[in-house]
Amino acid sequence: MFEGPIQDLIDELSRLPGIGPKSAQRLAFHLVKVPADEARRLAGAIVAAKEKVRFCRECFAVSEGDLCRVCRDPGRDPSVICVVEESKDQAAVEKAGVVKGRYHVLGGAISPLEGIGPDDLRVQELLDRVARDGVAEVILATNPNLEGNATAMYVAGLLKPLRVRVTRLASGLPVGGDLEYADEVTLGQALEGRREM
Amino acid sequence: MAARVTWVEARDFRNHPGTRLDLGEGLTAVVGPNGEGKTNLLEAIFYLCALESPRVASDEPLVRRGAAAAYLRGELEASGATALVEVEIRPSGANRVQVNRSPVRRRRDVRRIVRAVFAGPDDLEIVAGEPGARRRFLDEAVRILWPAREGVITAYDRALRQRNRLLKDWDGWGTPRGLEAWDGELAAHGAALTAARSEAAGRIAIPAARAFEALSGGPSEPLTLTVEYRPSVSGDSLEAAFLARLDERRGDELVRRTTLVGPHRDDLALAVAGLSARGFASHGEASGAALCLRLGLASAVREELGEPPPILLDDPFSGLDPARRRRVAESLGSWGQLVIAVPDEAQVPEGAEVVRVRGGAVVGG
Repeated sequence: MFEGPIQDLIDELSRLPGIGPKSAQRLAFHLVKVPADEARRLAGAIVAAKEKVRFCRECFAVSEGDLCRVCRDPGRDPSVICVVEESKDQAAVEKAGVVKGRYHVLGGAISPLEGIGPDDLRVQELLDRVARDGVAEVILATNPNLEGNATAMYVAGLLKPLRVRVTRLASGLPVGGDLEYADEVTLGQALEGRREM
Repeated sequence: MAARVTWVEARDFRNHPGTRLDLGEGLTAVVGPNGEGKTNLLEAIFYLCALESPRVASDEPLVRRGAAAAYLRGELEASGATALVEVEIRPSGANRVQVNRSPVRRRRDVRRIVRAVFAGPDDLEIVAGEPGARRRFLDEAVRILWPAREGVITAYDRALRQRNRLLKDWDGWGTPRGLEAWDGELAAHGAALTAARSEAAGRIAIPAARAFEALSGGPSEPLTLTVEYRPSVSGDSLEAAFLARLDERRGDELVRRTTLVGPHRDDLALAVAGLSARGFASHGEASGAALCLRLGLASAVREELGEPPPILLDDPFSGLDPARRRRVAESLGSWGQLVIAVPDEAQVPEGAEVVRVRGGAVVGG
């Protein structure tokens, strides 16, 4: 334990995702060593990002304006919504260029162990959008892990009464990979989701 | 061909500052008084194969007091190929593992090379202890038989912890919101785990019974060991049966605020001569049954892979009378690689290569 500002900095840094106490300590000692203007630039970037970056009022993706680039685009199909956990997932799906519709960022996945329940996610906002915009299909693109699957299942249950087509991303083999190196679970799911040729 | 460990080097591992042990293809007896480091050598051999200790969950006690890390090196041989495995064990933080001088991406890939089976005095728990010890044995069997199915065990465990937390923290009326979603995850992974455990128990039951019969002296002494999996959920369609059971117990679960259905409530029924081994077996019978479960597991691995895995027996004879000791040694005479640790020379079986251990070092053959 250290005293005063250095310990405060360590404490703040260790609250960041993926940063443990050891890393926080290393970062803190690095930061006190760098030139003052470099430290000020970092602090400024954090404050500016916090002040300027907003969330799209429709889909809650990180956005510079009131509406994000996708929601502003009139060429997008408003009848399809692709649901993701975080803005970074939206960026990943967008890169694939397959989704012609819009997105909805939940803001995470349900995880009781981390104290995240349905109320902490933008689920109601999704239901409102689906009901209001006459959406025909909702693609659930939450992560293919336990929490992502449970979240998809939960959201699917709520969408059912709205008579909308609900689909889930398939799990399978990475393109360019070798079957030999695939783990058994992935291989099993890929087999379950096999297609007629 | 038998899978085996050809040599192992332990540096700063437990009480061994630096020990090298070359192992033959057959029986090796490690002899030495208690506390000199025999078991630690067996543990090192097992660790090299499984990347975990058979005795402790944390790596901290494996590092010799005062040392920064423990190092294990050795050569594994299986299906006609060899692999040089090197492990740096740190008391805290991640260990480093290399195979043939390259870092490994997945631990599982190392564990599937040689599937050593370790049996020791702690195994008495499996027979005489709580059901949790038997569930751990079953999961260990699943992991050693089918390393790729390890994910099923961890996924179920996480789904269970998530669902239990949801039940525990819910402070509203009725059913916690989102419970159905966790029901689905629990049932999917629970059904997979039940199937895996059932298959593992089925593979072990017959060879374990056969080993126990050999140990007890054949059909003249009618002592039989029966091994039967008792799953919390059973049925033709496991996942559907699981969901139906959850539905039945929903009321109780909401009152007790915990998950009452699933593999975390399984048991493995063990009976000696038809009576529950846990309450009725004598100490000798219970140690014998525990040893036979391990030997049954080793046979199951042999069946699965087509070559016998190394068996590491820590003090296997102390709970057994002389006639049983002899029969155990006889029944294992033609197994592949077998390393046993015994406290005195009188217990060394015939034909064994002898290694003497004193104060954390090998002191001559």
